[in-house]
Amino acid sequence: MDYDSFLRTDRLPTSWCAGCGNGTVLRAIIEAAHRLGWDASNTVAVSGIGCSGRTAGYFSFDSIHAVHGRAVPVAEGIKLHRPELNVILVSGDGDLCGIGGNHLLHAARRDTNLNVVLVDNEIYGMTGGQTAPTTPLGTKTITAPDGAWEKPFNVQGVIKAHGAFYARSTTWHVRHLAKCLDAAFRHPGFAFVDAKSQCTSNYGRRLGYRTAYDMLEHFKTAYRINDGAQTLADDEIGITA
Amino acid sequence: MAQKRLMQGNEAVAEGAIAAGMTFFAGYPITPASEVLQYLVKRPEVRAVQFEDEISSVCALVGASLAGARAMTATSGPGFSLMQEGIGLGHMMETPFVIVDVQRVGPSTGMPTLPAQGDVMQATYGSHGDYFPIVFYPNSVQELYEYTIHAFNAAEESQSPVILLSDGYLGHLYETIETKRNVRLRKRKRPPLGVGGRHFTGLTSVDNTPTPQDPEAHRRMIARMQAKQREVGARYAHYEYISNRKADTLVVCFGSLSRAVMPLADRYAIFRPILLYPPIEEFSEIAKRYRKVVVVEMNAGQYVRVVQRLMRRTALSLPMIGGDLDVLRLEERLKWITTAS
Repeated sequence: MDYDSFLRTDRLPTSWCAGCGNGTVLRAIIEAAHRLGWDASNTVAVSGIGCSGRTAGYFSFDSIHAVHGRAVPVAEGIKLHRPELNVILVSGDGDLCGIGGNHLLHAARRDTNLNVVLVDNEIYGMTGGQTAPTTPLGTKTITAPDGAWEKPFNVQGVIKAHGAFYARSTTWHVRHLAKCLDAAFRHPGFAFVDAKSQCTSNYGRRLGYRTAYDMLEHFKTAYRINDGAQTLADDEIGITA
Repeated sequence: MAQKRLMQGNEAVAEGAIAAGMTFFAGYPITPASEVLQYLVKRPEVRAVQFEDEISSVCALVGASLAGARAMTATSGPGFSLMQEGIGLGHMMETPFVIVDVQRVGPSTGMPTLPAQGDVMQATYGSHGDYFPIVFYPNSVQELYEYTIHAFNAAEESQSPVILLSDGYLGHLYETIETKRNVRLRKRKRPPLGVGGRHFTGLTSVDNTPTPQDPEAHRRMIARMQAKQREVGARYAHYEYISNRKADTLVVCFGSLSRAVMPLADRYAIFRPILLYPPIEEFSEIAKRYRKVVVVEMNAGQYVRVVQRLMRRTALSLPMIGGDLDVLRLEERLKWITTAS
């Protein structure tokens, strides 16, 4: 397939660090869009703020880089006015679950037909490595030097509580991620793919991972696939029922 | 073709928006602006959506507008505060839409059912950074209807969010108005989403590419936007001026409070800007004819700063805060401030 036709090649290389998971997610989305025949005439990309918030701007689709936390309502405005447009929303855990958490749960409740891809690296990467809503309990960050003391945000619970589509995968399980995106993009309502991703510069490096590959190896061993489950356990990935 | 109808101020805003071809409305209930949303959800020609808050409402306008909609929201002070980031985004992305602020007494929850003019400064300085919004403030139900249409057209011409100020008194006021058919509407030049290759971002950018560390690019962008907003604003430099050769005092007023000032036209000259921003330049010439200028407003003295800047001299500030439109008190205080100074 022709990746370049989906990319703003004039903007490459991306601003992301070597070893970042954002590129893997970008590629997986392009492939999924290609499989469905989505193109610039029928598709729009939306992002919020953060490293993964830059994703929208690398697509050759018309793209929107919204303010922090507001990618979801901007995307809803598009979809409500032009239901025929496919809307792909890519953003991070800080943007979608932290500052934008309220919009996320209401969009799920309204079941707006958006395709939301959460690039979940469990940290605020762009701003230097502060605690994120998804940072696991006890993990040390530059704003939680003694370890995060709050329970991480239960994004699966929020999405599924409102009956919306929820799938989880990782940047290691690229074929599984593709399967999740296919199912999400075909879903005729609010669809959410939680893509666990690695931040090497401001997270993994401080947690003792020497390379990006070490972080991917962690995904490989820490998660097992359980498609069709009602609810995924913390160590599972899959498309939930 | 015109038709006469008895209508509430908030309804007139909704009708004006429909006449202006509005297709998308997003809002959140708030006193004293809720009637706009309540009225519009019953209209089949409009997609009117109640969102979870004012932040999402204004952001939905950005998305819908980029997708081709003529879009509007209506709120009051607390909601208007929440909308400021979306207004800044709308300016950066050069997205046309209309925001109606039916002002009530603040700060914070204040006195929700009583009118105020405390958002006059927020209307132009509420978001961070440099931006130059066009702001209207009518003073009757008829004008609310007409300036809603003007606001939509000014938004299209300037490719920016336009603010229409109202207040709790005007919003709930019933008056007979003439509605219009076949209103002349400005068309959108920019094609809606679905073209490809375009990147709309809140970052400073040049030709669809962010340039977040290029001071010269930023200066060029701000200068261009400022010139554009001034140019479009000047086309709508509407005001009401009641001259008075016997008077030595010119009273500047706007919105519902101006209705209480008008009966005093035998004693004072009156200038009522309908376009608050960009400020009406002609005012400086008018002000020269009077020894004293009093700015009376339902806030602690916000627009008086704009007036002074235009005149390049001191104006008297007469705050009428508290939300009670007491005509006798206004008359007394005007007399007191003009004789005391």
